[in-house]
Amino acid sequence: MIKNDSERKGLIINILSLIGFIIFWHILIVLAREHIFNIPFMRLKDIPTPLETWNALVGSMFTQTYGPGLTYGIIDHIRASLVRVVQGGAMAFIIGVPVGIGIGYSRLIHNILNPIIEIVRNMPPMAWIPLAIFILVTGGSIFIVFIGVVFPIILNTIYGVRSTDARLIDAARTLGASQVQIVAKVLIPSAFPSIIAGLRIGFGVGWMAIVAAEMVIRSPVGLGYFIWNMGDLGRYAEMVAGMIVIGVVGYIMNISILLLEKRLIKWVD
Amino acid sequence: MKNLTKILLVVIVTALFAGCVEDKKTPDQPINLVKMGGQDMVQRLGAGEIAGFIGWEPYPAIAITKGYGKPLMYSGDIWKEHPCCVVAYDQDWYKQTENADEILDRMALVQLKSVEYINNAKESGSPDHDDLINYSMAFGGMTDRAAAEMSLKDVEFVYSPNIPGTETFISKIMDFNIFDSAKWNQSGYVNASDYANNLITDRYVKWALQNREKDLSSLAIKEPVTIRYGYLVNDIHELPFYVGWQKGWFEDVGINITLSEGTPFQNGAFEMQKGFKTNAVDIGSLGLPPVIIHRINSNDFAVDDARVGVISGMNNEGSVIVVAGNITSLADLRGKTVGFPGPGTIQHVLFLMAAEKAGVRVSY
Repeated sequence: MIKNDSERKGLIINILSLIGFIIFWHILIVLAREHIFNIPFMRLKDIPTPLETWNALVGSMFTQTYGPGLTYGIIDHIRASLVRVVQGGAMAFIIGVPVGIGIGYSRLIHNILNPIIEIVRNMPPMAWIPLAIFILVTGGSIFIVFIGVVFPIILNTIYGVRSTDARLIDAARTLGASQVQIVAKVLIPSAFPSIIAGLRIGFGVGWMAIVAAEMVIRSPVGLGYFIWNMGDLGRYAEMVAGMIVIGVVGYIMNISILLLEKRLIKWVD
Repeated sequence: MKNLTKILLVVIVTALFAGCVEDKKTPDQPINLVKMGGQDMVQRLGAGEIAGFIGWEPYPAIAITKGYGKPLMYSGDIWKEHPCCVVAYDQDWYKQTENADEILDRMALVQLKSVEYINNAKESGSPDHDDLINYSMAFGGMTDRAAAEMSLKDVEFVYSPNIPGTETFISKIMDFNIFDSAKWNQSGYVNASDYANNLITDRYVKWALQNREKDLSSLAIKEPVTIRYGYLVNDIHELPFYVGWQKGWFEDVGINITLSEGTPFQNGAFEMQKGFKTNAVDIGSLGLPPVIIHRINSNDFAVDDARVGVISGMNNEGSVIVVAGNITSLADLRGKTVGFPGPGTIQHVLFLMAAEKAGVRVSY
């Protein structure tokens, strides 16, 4: 909710900026089509105008059937991509949090796992795509999301655990707490804000990774597949509409996790 | 800890629910067409990752001879003697080239000679048979002679353009809603027949037929020209081009062939968008449906940059639906993944036509 004039002003500027961008986009394409302006080595005139993109978005929103052909709507593509991100993200969360706590808390586990994680986390999710194609019969895209999400979660969990006030751990020990109790009652609550931040960063990476993975690891439905298919058919307006949807869904996902973060971690701030 | 447990529970439940939603089965599931390259289709069928594919020769022959699958349907079963690949020229090149007609006459003549050579050499008793197999293996990226023999049998090589067949393709593409409707309206074509007649001409093949008995060098263009040619990767349908090139027949008529940037293209859609539209290709061979689709969808009608003209046929038929051993009909493919070269390719349109006949749905 808008709390004060400053926020209201900020919102108005945000909206005007968006409208300004759309107008700029429209003028740029019209000028290119009229051969008044072009950027060398680019075919600007082939980019659809905002209105053409909007019409394409509306036209391809729902599943359509022509003869025997069924073309999935953007709604189905969003759902399919989100399902993969949630599945890959869930796997990453289930594995990443315990691994992060282990590395953060135990010097031995740190020494064993850290060299491997330091090397593997520097491999971008997209670099795993060929391997995923060859070794996985199914679920390649989910695996790519997992790779994208798991390392931000691990690293943030490690950071959260290591940032725990040592006096709290000492106090718990003094009061006779077991190792399990220290982890459950001290480390995890302390690391929780950091874990959620890792989840948010991870989902952002996972969302970018899923789109790339869907372009290469073919499946019949998914936003990455949709924009590639539309490009193949020369339907650039639908392709750009798909790209915008990817951006909007990613933004909504980020905002949702931020809101979740605020709701769950009331003691921070 | 309480919050973490809550999140963990929510995440697990959501993931499980998401999985259930994705795996939901319905009785009338569509066949899922998924785009992939030809070699990928063969390998993935062999690995059991897909239930089948529709591809151009030699990929079906390679998969069958390796024992990865069996032919379910030849494209001739879907539509007898359907047109397939064609030879096309770029309209911008045509406008800028003074003797374009002279060049296209000779391109059609070499196509005619190559087709005649191949059709004779296809007979196993022909003295040229071994050479033809070697050409096929080299152009089709094959190492197996049996696959080369099989792939040649499935293709009917032709030189005549097929206007009625083109009209049928255009009508089907309209029925399947593949055209961008706004672009179609801009094109100004009244109907399929109007478009087909604008796209294709037989004047060059007529000239070639009139001159078929003459020595090629006697018909050479006075000043040799260089043509940037585009073709599709490992596509046996386009063997007449390769034969004419390897035999030196293009040079005999005064045409030096250089391969265009991007050749060999992964599919016809790429050749239209990255070859003809960008003026990287002067003349090339590709499937008829990508020509039909992208001359509309990818065209900027203010400058007509994706406008091409078809001067001759290349082949009829020559695509096959290859499936795993347990599949006996198209209906068996419901809910399964089938590889295809991409939306807007001839195999895409043929598969939709087969599905229409069989009463099954296809998602792509």
